[in-house]
Amino acid sequence: MSDLSQLLDNDPVVATAGTDMLADSIEQQGSPVARADWRPPAAGTEAALAALATDGHMPDANATAIGKMLAVRPYLVDVAVARDAFPDMTDRTFLHAGPPLEWERASGPMQGAIIGAMLYEGLANDPEDAAAKAARGEIELSPCHHHGAVGPMAGVTSPSMPVAVLNDAAGDGVSYSTLNEGLGKVLRYGAFGPEVVDRLHWMDSVLGPVLGAVLKSRGPVDLQSLIAQALQMGDDGHNRNRAVTSLFLREIGGALVDGADAPVDQRAEVFKFIDGNDHFMLNLVMAAGKLGSDAASGVPASSLVTVMARNGTDFGIRLSGTGDQWFSAPAPPVEGLYLGSYTEDDASPDIGDSTITETVGLGGFAMAAAPAIVGFVGGTAAGAVRRTLAMYEITMAEHPMYQIPMLEFRGTPTGIDAARVVRTGVMPQINTGVAGKVPGTGMVGAGLVEAPMECFVQGINALAANLS
Amino acid sequence: MIPARAVDAHPTPAPTRVAGVASTAIYGLLSVPGTTATVLGTSGHAVWLLVNDDIVVVSTSDATRLPNGVQIAATAADDAFRMVHHGAEVQMGFGRIMLEGLTVNVVRWWDPRPVLREISPSMLAAAIEGLPSEVPDVASQQLRAALSTGSPVALLAAAKPMLGKGPGLTPEGDDYLAGALAATRLLGTAVASTTATTLLASIAVHLARLADARTTTFSAALLRNALRGQVVAPAASLLRAFTGRGDVAPAHRVLSAVGHSSGPALAAGIVLGAQALIAQSAK
Amino acid sequence: MISRVEIHPGRYHDSVRLMQASKALQDVAGVTDALVAMATELNLSLLGEMGFDMDAVAGTGPNDLLLALRAESEDAIAVAHAVLDDALTHKVAPSGGLDAPEPKTVGSAASVNTANVVLLSVPGEHAFVEAMEALQNGQHAMIFSDNVPIDQEIILKKYGVDHDLLVMGPDCGTTIINGVGLGFANAVQPGSVSMVGASGTGIQQMCALLDDAGVGVLHALGTGSHDLSEEVGAASTLQALAALDADPATDVIVVISKPPAAPVADKVRRAAAECAKPVVITFMGESTLEEGAGEVLAKLGKSQTSYGSWVAPNGDHRPGLVRGLFSGGTLRDEARFVGMPLLGEIGKREGEAGHTFVDYGDDEYTQGRAHPMIDQTVRIERLAAAGQDESIGVILMDVVLGYGANADPAAELAPVIAEVVASGAAVVVSLCGTRGDPQGRDAQAMALNKAGATVFLSNAAAALEAARLATTRTSV
Repeated sequence: MSDLSQLLDNDPVVATAGTDMLADSIEQQGSPVARADWRPPAAGTEAALAALATDGHMPDANATAIGKMLAVRPYLVDVAVARDAFPDMTDRTFLHAGPPLEWERASGPMQGAIIGAMLYEGLANDPEDAAAKAARGEIELSPCHHHGAVGPMAGVTSPSMPVAVLNDAAGDGVSYSTLNEGLGKVLRYGAFGPEVVDRLHWMDSVLGPVLGAVLKSRGPVDLQSLIAQALQMGDDGHNRNRAVTSLFLREIGGALVDGADAPVDQRAEVFKFIDGNDHFMLNLVMAAGKLGSDAASGVPASSLVTVMARNGTDFGIRLSGTGDQWFSAPAPPVEGLYLGSYTEDDASPDIGDSTITETVGLGGFAMAAAPAIVGFVGGTAAGAVRRTLAMYEITMAEHPMYQIPMLEFRGTPTGIDAARVVRTGVMPQINTGVAGKVPGTGMVGAGLVEAPMECFVQGINALAANLS
Repeated sequence: MIPARAVDAHPTPAPTRVAGVASTAIYGLLSVPGTTATVLGTSGHAVWLLVNDDIVVVSTSDATRLPNGVQIAATAADDAFRMVHHGAEVQMGFGRIMLEGLTVNVVRWWDPRPVLREISPSMLAAAIEGLPSEVPDVASQQLRAALSTGSPVALLAAAKPMLGKGPGLTPEGDDYLAGALAATRLLGTAVASTTATTLLASIAVHLARLADARTTTFSAALLRNALRGQVVAPAASLLRAFTGRGDVAPAHRVLSAVGHSSGPALAAGIVLGAQALIAQSAK
Repeated sequence: MISRVEIHPGRYHDSVRLMQASKALQDVAGVTDALVAMATELNLSLLGEMGFDMDAVAGTGPNDLLLALRAESEDAIAVAHAVLDDALTHKVAPSGGLDAPEPKTVGSAASVNTANVVLLSVPGEHAFVEAMEALQNGQHAMIFSDNVPIDQEIILKKYGVDHDLLVMGPDCGTTIINGVGLGFANAVQPGSVSMVGASGTGIQQMCALLDDAGVGVLHALGTGSHDLSEEVGAASTLQALAALDADPATDVIVVISKPPAAPVADKVRRAAAECAKPVVITFMGESTLEEGAGEVLAKLGKSQTSYGSWVAPNGDHRPGLVRGLFSGGTLRDEARFVGMPLLGEIGKREGEAGHTFVDYGDDEYTQGRAHPMIDQTVRIERLAAAGQDESIGVILMDVVLGYGANADPAAELAPVIAEVVASGAAVVVSLCGTRGDPQGRDAQAMALNKAGATVFLSNAAAALEAARLATTRTSV
């Protein structure tokens, strides 16, 4: 290497951070200059950032971690029953979204979903009974993320529910998610009425087995390829999954019509159900993300964000270099548009594991691909592009498969670097649904939300403390 | 009532003033006050000016730095030359060029002649090993022989059919020849070849006259620069790399990417010039 | 079949564009042959070989654009013209509305223009993280910021040395690379003298003196004010010295620093002795910059010169102390070094008894303000106060020109200088600038001189004159 001779043999090309006067004077000399709109890092991270810079392993560690995240090839391989899929699950285990949580601190929609799942499992006679039992500690709550799983909104997963099983074709990862119930009064928004419980029974007796038979008949479904196509058809993978759901239905159409070992009326019911639910694929996109997130976790000194998840009370993140540790802060309210006569006062704080999509370069990070949803979450098409562009500042890579037509097929900003978040103050942009805060209400709106800085501040400090 | 004086609805905006960085090779052209130049052409990257019988190129900072160039900090994306028209007359002097809508004030100068450290012919041979020294459709044997033997008559004879050969602003034959001449001049000094220096000194005037007659003014200007060892910046980097400053492969790649045929022809000419010097030293 | 040959006189296009245009024409339906090229002799003969009518090209020259088309119809010819115009005039449309947001870190800014040097002037406590990122990205770092902890400076410089990257600073005020000034720097003519300096104003003074002597400067690598401390051990200075010694375009090297720690000074001297090129060392307290410049001229085989001065009309001035009002630390130190043999002890802080030479660029006086080279408010106030102070006989001040400095310092100073001179004190200005500086060196000198100041380009000469005036009272 002879960098120093190269410095002397050519005119310098300069980038500046700090006073504009210095950049101006370079331009006065006819030389180009690139300026950073620099700002101090988040308070309380200065020492940690310096320690990480001194250590010097972070850049390589991040390259390793993001490489692992991008290398996964998620395939939907099977549909199993939760109690069989999760070895640690007892008859009284209920998985939920976000970081760990106790019943007492649970939000309205989370409590509602747990009540609904208890009724569905036959562990309580009525909602009051369920709430009392949960309060007495008769059930065990555990985050989906601790079991290789993810769930949208409340994310409540109980032993009898069917779960999708995803394999990483490029590695040995496995991930799981519940199947999507559709919109309206649904468990994940905290609704627990009879129609909710009835639908859950139909899902375990018809939807799960039929899908399992379809997969057995046609073989695994390449989800990454479907998601990549869907981004070019106006999906973001979080709030708009209409295209990917359509593509999925085409993908399994043949086997569903002819091949799956299931009664014809059930196959017709499944077709109608998926066709009627634009969000059917959300859960599978999330599970695909979880594969990438798990593959990338556990790289020492890496500041890659592997998990962002909310339980309606707390917003939690995990970093690759700090493994299973959660860094949590109060879940922020969602700024958005409300359905009917609902207002902000009816809204629960941010909830759900669906932020796994933003963690892997989809959702709010891919918003420029999905102008159709900007009205839904309250924004403008230009604003959507700006949001996506802003995310390149805090991400490590451009996704090789997920591309945005409007940005000349640039890859989506993928792999959040917590160090860059605290240094720049640029917060991960999330678009999300909003649940009503009263148990049983369901969905009240949708909107945009930023991850809280506090999580990242904790995470960076823990990462620095972990350095040997 | 006094009739209102007709007011131009679109008054010409004051020209933007920017700093420029210029090659010392055109110090004279830029300094003389009261010079009028003609805009020969313009693109997003550059404006070509005909100044008397010479050429000055004003370009953006992302364009290749030319030995007869003035660069401004803006890039092509800034569209700085949008108001400049082909055929326009432009005033210049005292280091200032008054283009339409853009006044360039030269605040800094650079020397387009790289200073090369001394090296042995064997080191040079190792540095150029494997690099192409031929371009398709241009016969090189005469030129190679002329440079190796140091014969002025043979060199002029070899140069004649190359001048103006090929499409473009700098025809490929001219680039090839310019590369060979610049290498002879610069590497000739680096390997202390007096033959090379004498050779170029004796043909300089004749070759310049020949070039004026047979090729584009722009290309002829670059050939005169080459005779003096003044080259485009990526060629300077390649020549430095031959003397052990920087890596040869990336420098060769960068030069080869210049223009369509210009860069590769220039690079091949430089390698040919180097080979001739090595052949000369073996005698 | 229709043949058409056209000449567009004096229309220039680069070869890439012509190739693209030719290709585009050949793709036009109905066009069978197309040639777009500059009308050189060879291209004209090619035209003949293609069987085109040569009459149309009589009298054309190589600066003309040649267009030859053979097509099945006039329509095809018309389309070809439209295609050609488009191909030759197409400009990239600006990406309105989709512009990326401004980069937030110097790392992402550097990726915008593939920078090889980052220039940091962020608060000192934050400079390390940005600088380290730059180094890890393979970029050289100039750290203008001060107050970077010394252990962080050591880590940065060790990384730089290990990876052949130069760390200029922290507290590096001036660097020049290939004539491009970063920070406070003067416009220099191209030349073959290069410098390594732990002192920004030291570099600027050397540039000014060499410029006045008609000598150009190639590089001036600032290394930061702490580089020659024992802890840092001249890490960057030694690295820069070796790089300049290996630079074929550099003929003479100058090393400039405030007085370094003794063992470090020895280390630098040994390294300089090992250089293949002549090295002039100017350590404040051992020699002046003017002496250093003289040595450079000698190494270049040039005759010695006397540096420019603009002497105020001989007038009486009141007896009294010398008050030095400086914006450059090194210029202050040099003035003390020159002045003490004549004046005795000279204080460095305001309020000390006797003569005082104060550096208003010191942190103490810059709280919440720009550097006094930019913002002269504090010095102007002190200048006016000194004029009112009967105990002061002579005021010595530096005025530093160049990129980054105040756009017209003389205009702000002149009225105050005139008042001070009228009140009976003498004003001596050390004007540090080159002829190419944007402020106009000579115009600044004349404006200051007209106001009544004696102006010297050499700081040492200015200090000597101030001391002389204070010790040998001039009379008419």
